[in-house]
Parts: sequence; C-alpha cells; structure tokens
Amino acid sequence: MGDLVSNLSLGFSVALSLQNLVLAFLGCLVGTLIGVLPGVGPIATIAMLLPITFGFDPTGALIMLAGIYYGAQYGGSTTAILVNIPGEATSVVTTLDGHQMARQGRAGVALGIAAIGSFFAGTVATIVIAALGAPLTRLALVFGPAEYFSLMVMGLVFAVVLARGSILKAVAMILVGVLLSTVGTDLETGQERMTLGLQFLSDGIDFAVLAMGVFGIAEILRNLDHTETRDVVRQAIGRLLPNRDDFRQSYKPVLRGTFIGAVLGILPGNGAVLGPFASYTVEKKLAKDPSRFGRGAIEGVAGPESANNAGAQTSFIPLLTLGIPPNAVMALMVGAMTIHGIVPGPQVMTRNPDLFWGMIASMWVGNLMLLVINLPLVGMWVRLLKVPYHLMFPAILMFCCIGIYSINSLPTDVMFIAFFGLVGYLLIKFGFEPAPMLLGFVLGKLLEENLRRALILSRGSLGTFVDRPVSAGLLLVAVALLVVALLPTIRKGRDEVFTE
Amino acid sequence: MSMSQGQGRNRHGLIRSPQNLAAGLSLLFLAGLALWLTRDLPQGRLSAMGPGMLPDWLAYGVGLCGLALLAAAFLKDGEPLEAWSLRGPFFVVLAILAFAVTIRPFSLGPVNLPGLGMIVAGPLAIVIGGYAAPEARFRQLLVLALGLTPFCMVLFGDLLNLPIPIFPQSLAGLLPDTWSQKTILRGLAAILVAAAVLVHLSGGRRKTGPIDVATQPEEV
Repeated sequence: MGDLVSNLSLGFSVALSLQNLVLAFLGCLVGTLIGVLPGVGPIATIAMLLPITFGFDPTGALIMLAGIYYGAQYGGSTTAILVNIPGEATSVVTTLDGHQMARQGRAGVALGIAAIGSFFAGTVATIVIAALGAPLTRLALVFGPAEYFSLMVMGLVFAVVLARGSILKAVAMILVGVLLSTVGTDLETGQERMTLGLQFLSDGIDFAVLAMGVFGIAEILRNLDHTETRDVVRQAIGRLLPNRDDFRQSYKPVLRGTFIGAVLGILPGNGAVLGPFASYTVEKKLAKDPSRFGRGAIEGVAGPESANNAGAQTSFIPLLTLGIPPNAVMALMVGAMTIHGIVPGPQVMTRNPDLFWGMIASMWVGNLMLLVINLPLVGMWVRLLKVPYHLMFPAILMFCCIGIYSINSLPTDVMFIAFFGLVGYLLIKFGFEPAPMLLGFVLGKLLEENLRRALILSRGSLGTFVDRPVSAGLLLVAVALLVVALLPTIRKGRDEVFTE
Repeated sequence: MSMSQGQGRNRHGLIRSPQNLAAGLSLLFLAGLALWLTRDLPQGRLSAMGPGMLPDWLAYGVGLCGLALLAAAFLKDGEPLEAWSLRGPFFVVLAILAFAVTIRPFSLGPVNLPGLGMIVAGPLAIVIGGYAAPEARFRQLLVLALGLTPFCMVLFGDLLNLPIPIFPQSLAGLLPDTWSQKTILRGLAAILVAAAVLVHLSGGRRKTGPIDVATQPEEV
C-alpha cells in the first residue's frame, strides 16, 4: 500500500509537469475529435500521428497517444447520443438508449451521466492498473519462453472467441496475421523468408503500414460504399447535470459497468469493445422493467459508458506489465515505444519507473480533462459533425500518406498502404475482421521467438508446454474457451450479445 | 465439387454462400503462395527449427481454414457477396500512388520524376482522392487542398522539423541564397492560403443541403 502511494506520487509528479499536461490535453482533444468524427478509427489516427510524437521524450509521446485512445472512447458517446451515429465502435450500445433520451429532450442528462460514469470508471481503472502493475510484473519475470508462448496462444484464442462473426474466419485471420509476421529476415539463420527478393521486405512488413492500410485506407473504401445522407439534428441539449433520481437509478449500473469493463478490458483481443455490450445485457437482465430499455433508460447509458472507459484503460495492463499488446491499438503503442527506444515488457517498470507511473497518473489527469473537454464544449463537437464525409476523407487520405512517409521516409511504404488498403477492403467484403489479423501479426514475432526458444531448451520436446504447470494452465484455459465458444448454445448467446 | 450434388432442392443453387466461397478461395490462394515462397527454406527439427517450419505450418493452417470455408459455402446458407464499387478503390489508390511518386525523386525504368515535395504531393492526393466520392466538386477539393497543405507544411516541416520534402529543391535554387528553407516554406504556405481564400471566394454562394456521413467504424 505504501508502495502504491509512493509510486503514484512519483507518477503524478511526472504527469503534472507542464509539458506532460499540455501533451495529455492535446491527446484528449485530438482523441475526442476522432471519437466524434465517424469513419476515423483510433488505430489509423495513432498511426498517422506517430510521427508528430517523434520530437517529444518517450513519456510525453506515450501520454499523448494514450490520451488519444481513451479520448476517442469518450468522444464517441457524444455523437451516439446526439446524432444516433456511434463515432466509435465502443459506443454502439450508447445509441440505443442515449439517442432516445436525446429525443425526449434529455440529451444533456445522457451526456452528463456518460461523462460522470466514464470519469468514475477511469478513476477506478487507474487505481486497478497501479495496484496490479507491480505483482503482474513480478509474475512476468518468472515466465520462461514456454509460459510466454502459452500466454500468447491464450491471448489469441481470446481474440478469436471475442471477435464478431464466424469463429472459423477469426481463426483464419489470426493465422494469416502470424504468417505475415514471418515475412522478412529470419532472426536465427539470417535467411530471407517470403520477401520475393524485394529489398524493402527484408526487414519484414512494417506494422504501421499494415495497420494504416487495413484500418485507415480500407475504412475509407468501405465508408465510400456506405455513406448515407443524414441531417444533423439540432435539438435542445437541456441541463447537463443529472438530478437525484437519475443518480439513484444509475449509480449501480455505473459500479457494475466499471467492474465488467475493467475485467473485460484486461482480456486480450478486443480491449474495450466487449465491455459495453456485456454491461448493457446485464443491466437489461437486472432491470425490473426491461421494456424501458431502448426507450431512453438511463441505466442503458450509464453502465455501457462506464464499461467502455474502464476497458479502454485496463487494456494497458497486459502491455505495461507483460509486454504483450492485447489489441491493435496497444500494438501501436508498442510501435511507439520501440521508436522511442523502450522495449515493452516487465522491465519497463523497473528501468523506466517515471514513464510507467507517469503514464498511469496521466490517465487520471486525462480523465479529468475529458470532463472539461466534453461537457461544456458539446456544441463545438456537434458542429464538427456537419463536415461532410466527401470532404473529410481526402484530408484523412493525405494525413495517412504524410504520416506513413515520415516514419521511414520510404515512398514504398506509402505505396504499401494502398496495397494493404485494397487487401483490407477485400477482407471486409469477404466477411473477415481485420482486427484479429493485426493482433496475430503483432504477436507473431514474439510467438515464434518464444516457441523456438522453448523448443531449444526442451531439446525439441513439445511436452514442455504441458509439463510446466503455468504453461499447461494457460493452454488449458485456451482450450476450454475454444470449446465453450464452439458449443452451439453458447454461440447463440454470443451472437445475441452482438446483435442486440 | 462432388459434395454439392445432394443439394438439388436448395433454392439458392449450387453455391449457398458466395461470400464464403470467395473467402475460402482467397485463403487457399494465400496458403499456396506461402508454401511456394518457402519451398527452398530448410525446415529444421523441432529442437532447432529452421526458418521454413513455422511459415509452412501456418500456411497449412490457413489452407485448412480455406477448405473448411469452401465446404461451408456449398453446405450452409450464408451471406451473398456485397456490391462492389470500383470508383472508390481506383481513385484512392491512384491518389496514394501520386503522392508516393511525387514526394521525392522517383524513377522507374524510363520514367523519371523530380521530387516535388509536399506542396505538390499533398494537393494531388486530396484532389485525385476526392474523386472517389460521387459528390466530388473540383473547386471544393481545390480549396480543401490549398487550405490543408500549408497547414501540414507548417505543422510537419516547420514546427516538428520532420525530414519530409516540402517543396521542389530546384525552387530553392531560383530564389536568393539568403532565404532559408524555413523562410521559403512559410512564404509558400502563405501563398497557398491566399490562393485557397481566393478560390473559395470566387466560388459564389453554395446552398447547404443534407450532409453525408460515414457509418460507424468497424470494431477495433
């Protein structure tokens, strides 16, 4: 406990420095902007903005990128409530009751409870990260290659089970992702693998290029097929502060949402996306009168909004403690750390304590800033929604090109985002989700390295993965999950959660 | 495929899920490609895995998934293939290529392009890319290009000092030696902004109609 306090005070001394405050604020502001604008995901944005952070020290850069990420979770709710368009995948559920509240003239209350719930969830999640950080890091240090391999397998299985749509397709995407990660020079023998003799492939496929293509460019292409005409509604927002009745109805959903979101956020695979769905389902089940849901029930906003913010933050835990990115956004954070010369993993906490704790403390600071950014400035964000997509996407396109070029100064990188954009577009058309592929790609190198190391240590015996208890336990969880996911009754339940 | 012969009563015809058919075929193609590319790599043993072993296992895994999807396409009803548009991908890819070949000197065979920098590559990407949407209007895109490019020039080149070419180097030779790169950058940015304002003002009044928005982004 004393440790926690001294660590957090170190963190706050870093986070409250003027430069870091400004960077956290900028990150939250840009993140909110992205959350509000439909059609721009956080992955593409972080990839685009990576170069902007080159000039900062690593702590500042990561604080800003983290701000973009949880700011986006926060901002997505604004459009979900006011215009019935989820600005971000995590706020899909908020459209159900949030927009109904807005139509009843209670938009302000919906926004208010979303902000308050998110802030509470963010505060709790910050403490959870701080409390879990040290023990998990110690655990990670006793992990051998076999345990790491099994942990990653479990993570990938989670990603499959939690992905939307066909399990078979999700498995295929993970395998394709890992396969893509093997392109390039083999680390142990130095032989070139699947490079087609092309020189720029000998270092492997760049993560930012793949992410930008599959999430940035492909997203534009997909949106171009789907743009629809819609009038931006301009209704009275009403008072922002919920009254005592609203609070009485929503404090339990906020608590439950925070808990659900925090737990699901740690799971690898989808970070903050599952939390809101689960929270909504739970609230509907627990409600005395479930028929109110979908007609403006405040619980349907309070729970999911808390869940998505808690999840967005706790998804940093696997990255910060184990060095394993649980989702694509965290994978970009790995990229950012590497560019700044920091090897993600359990050593970060001991070697760069100011970075580790500074980032955690900045999350709480950022959440506080988001209250200010979101509530009073709602009118400004709504005005942004009037920018038509046919003018927005060319700008995104140019930002993507500039962003990717400035990482390595290679025109081939720019051409590759076009290629991966087309690939991503095809994948979406064929019913594949690109997110598991990106996760497989990110974990691929680590996976192969640890697999080979574990097998060298065991002299080629695959038994090493089941003989070691921790590794066996992790694999057991993975198998059990997969079996459960494939059982038809549960699959039905899973689909219901997502179609709700 | 012999397994589809018992499906006579199926009202959708032989292929019950075109989307899965396409998905399965693309996975099989990918698996085949990977196996062919790694054909010369040593496999090694489990105790000392060669560079070819893991990619090959993965390729077999991908191939199996492809076969399963292919089978599912004939056995289970599923999604049809969504409608395609060629306009979007064509202009977007063209815009990105235009950016890539103009940002810095580029040569491919007999084609030699001088590096024109962001001042040309940026507007090219915006104007060409803009035509991916049917609502594209040249004047609007030009204003956007002339307005955003100086913003990016100042942000990336001036404030952040990123090593990204901003303007054609031949231009620097034409101007007095005493002008620094930054001076030229700022001057050009100012000219672009002025041009953007001029083009915008000369456009006259536009009516404000309903607004097109993107649907929500896919899961991240």
